[in-house]
Amino acid sequence: MSEEILAEEKGKNLEEIKKEAENKACPVQRNLYFIEEFIAGPMCGRGYPCALGTQEAKIRLLRISQHLEGVSPSDVEAIRRIASNMIEGSFCKKGKDTGRFVIETLAKSEDDFNQHISGACPKKECINLIEYVINPELCIMCGKCQESCKYNAIVGEKRELYLSGYLPFEIRQKRCTRCGECVKVCPTGAIEIITTKIEEEVVSNK
Amino acid sequence: MVKLKIDGKEVQAPEGMNIIDAAELAEIHIPNLCYLKGMKGIGACRMCLVEIEGMKAPVIACNTRVKDGMVVNTKTDKVQEIRKFVIDLILSMHPLDCMTCTKAGVCNLQKYAYDFELKESSFTRKKSGYPADAANPFIKRDPEYCILCGRCVRVCKTQGTNVLDFMGRGIISKVTTANDKPLQESECTFCGSCVDVCPVNALLEADRWRKGREWDYEKIRSQCLSCGNGCDIIVSTKDGEVAKINAGAPGGSYERYICAIGRFGFDSLKSDTRVTSPMKRVDNELKEITWNEAVSIVSGKLKEAGESVGFISTAGILNEDALTLKKFASDVVKTKNIDTSISLYADAESMRAEDANLEKADLMVIVGLNPDQWTRVLPAIDAIIRRKVNAGAKLIVINSGEPRIASVATVNLKGNEASTLSMLAKTLEESQKSKVKSPESETKGAEEKETSPFEKAAELFAKAKNIVILAVPSLYAASTNIAVIANKLLLPVPEVVAVPIEANAKGVTLMGLVTEGRSYKEMIAGKAVKVLYAVGEIPLNSGVRPKVDFLIVQNSHLTSLAKQADIVLPSAAVLESDGTIVDYLGRLKKVQKAVEPPEDAKTHREIFIKLAKVLGKAIKKPSETAVKKATKVKKGKPSMGPFKKQEGFDIDPVEMIESLNASVINGSRLLWLKEVEKAVEA
Repeated sequence: MSEEILAEEKGKNLEEIKKEAENKACPVQRNLYFIEEFIAGPMCGRGYPCALGTQEAKIRLLRISQHLEGVSPSDVEAIRRIASNMIEGSFCKKGKDTGRFVIETLAKSEDDFNQHISGACPKKECINLIEYVINPELCIMCGKCQESCKYNAIVGEKRELYLSGYLPFEIRQKRCTRCGECVKVCPTGAIEIITTKIEEEVVSNK
Repeated sequence: MVKLKIDGKEVQAPEGMNIIDAAELAEIHIPNLCYLKGMKGIGACRMCLVEIEGMKAPVIACNTRVKDGMVVNTKTDKVQEIRKFVIDLILSMHPLDCMTCTKAGVCNLQKYAYDFELKESSFTRKKSGYPADAANPFIKRDPEYCILCGRCVRVCKTQGTNVLDFMGRGIISKVTTANDKPLQESECTFCGSCVDVCPVNALLEADRWRKGREWDYEKIRSQCLSCGNGCDIIVSTKDGEVAKINAGAPGGSYERYICAIGRFGFDSLKSDTRVTSPMKRVDNELKEITWNEAVSIVSGKLKEAGESVGFISTAGILNEDALTLKKFASDVVKTKNIDTSISLYADAESMRAEDANLEKADLMVIVGLNPDQWTRVLPAIDAIIRRKVNAGAKLIVINSGEPRIASVATVNLKGNEASTLSMLAKTLEESQKSKVKSPESETKGAEEKETSPFEKAAELFAKAKNIVILAVPSLYAASTNIAVIANKLLLPVPEVVAVPIEANAKGVTLMGLVTEGRSYKEMIAGKAVKVLYAVGEIPLNSGVRPKVDFLIVQNSHLTSLAKQADIVLPSAAVLESDGTIVDYLGRLKKVQKAVEPPEDAKTHREIFIKLAKVLGKAIKKPSETAVKKATKVKKGKPSMGPFKKQEGFDIDPVEMIESLNASVINGSRLLWLKEVEKAVEA
């Protein structure tokens, strides 16, 4: 009984966190997840590079991933600096591992980070930087997406055989929360996820 | 000694020293924020990281011991970047307030920001939003400025008061009291040790604001004379007034301490009860008169009474004043009735005793003593003992009651002290005899047999290298028996010290203020003296006038005794005179004048010299050599005496210390504390 409690308190170990981070496609999201796990997990909370640095890193990552006001290339620089100092200066293995993960992700996908600053998420995960759109050429106006949307974000009229003229199905961006339910039910794969600055070919999500 | 190289400089350091202290010997400063000299480094701030040749990763200098042949680099690019990073982070959560901050000039954060050229933080601005605690007139806590270094927490823990701790972790942590209560609702004694170690403006004196910047202050080293500890202090003055008082022992010293009375009592220098001019009793009221009139009246009365004059004094006066008083009384007035309040709790023999070195002691024995930070009875000894026990020293408590300090004792021998000492002596003799007989049996059977507390104590005696026995003066003679026995048994001989309640009891005794006529108790009751001359803050006098024909009181403040006097002479307070004292460990310490006394107040010796001149016999100001000569004690060979507690010295130290400091307490912000305590009790 006590072992379970201890295991719970020990938190997830490095391998588990890395694996769960892989579930995220976007490297920014991956870093954010890792940092949040660090803050939530047990730590000594005393060393300045770790305790204070990760809080600052979280603020910067949120800024990048949500494209908040004031985002700039300095945010990436700050994160890089925090992570490298955590590797060199922190007390414990946990801090050093976190620093290494962030630096490696940055090294592999620096371009992705920079694109976020311009307002695009190449992996199409960061909510504020993507949009869901319905491709009218593929849409058969079955109305399944409208039924599945909890937020009443899809407008349009179902095609009835006896009606002429129609209202095309559209997703109202202000209401869309990017939950992805509509994509799941669309039979023709007409709903695409695009990122605002770069437009790509239709990607069908399975 | 160990030889190593730091930044290219050859350094010789004692074994076991950490790199930060070793670098200081070579005048190299390694930046640090959470390091506290004298305590083990914890490595939380990561500022002191240094690179050692041969080691891959940087190591913390505060907790790494020097090794022969080490080559240390304190300023490589890597560690400088980490330091800059840390200061940058701290600045992002610190109010950028250098313009009006009271710590400007002595702030470590400011210093390092300057060294690393950080004008502002490159990180997002964060604010804790925690409110300040300024509800008491002693210490102000402002968590906005706190950099979470933890120095205050550790200092408070090692001295046993345990008031402050971290609440929460990481960036939202806060240094506060249990349940985040204001200081006066915690166990805080307001000693201010935390204020002395805080590197920034998070803990400071409550009235520090608008009292000038640190560089405006003149700093004077002196002693506090409120109780038998005689703690070192540093007095900061500005424009001729005391601004604040800090503990004076060097950082890291085991003795660095000053209690609330010493730290905050200086308000009383300007209180309403201050005597600012000589006064004469006219129609049952005190009227101000000139010095000339006062001197002529007093000298007239002294000449008239001659042998039936009695002098009583407290032991809070300086050596020079005591020496002058002795000369005045015996050579000028020619009376034998000179005594001090020491005779309420000690005999002269115990006060003439030898010195002791408490710093090196690895075994301390307290006999009948009850040092207590919370009741402010010899609080520095309480803090010192707890700190030393924390650092590995052992403590034996011999007391008939349950002093608070017994909770950190290695062996607690509760019971009648005299019989306990006698039993301890017997156990020492027996254990030595049994060792001589069969040395193997000690190692074999020792673990299985249950040892009595006395046997445990005897074991500690045998294993220790430097033993110091701190005794109440009434048990001093009995305690020296232990030293005699230890000497006989070829064990390490303990140094025995009688700890007085008053600061300069040893000095005053050595200067010769020991009665050859009537005693203090007799004189204060008014027996057999016609004229009584009382010097200092005479304690435990409930305002009842002693039955004498003429009463002269010479003090800085108007006490209840002074209100009954025929003549009151204004004297300078402690912070207003120069001189020396002999502290409880036998050290000759300098007291320096910090501020000028009020215009008409004079030091005690000046008053006696003035009176002597009028009485026709001149006495000179005592010289340094005269004082030093008087402090030379002839160390006789101690001999065995009976294990007995001396009678007639049963005075309550709590009452006595409060009474001795009554004017200071009632005339300063300490009065607030008394009222709060009363309210809590009610």
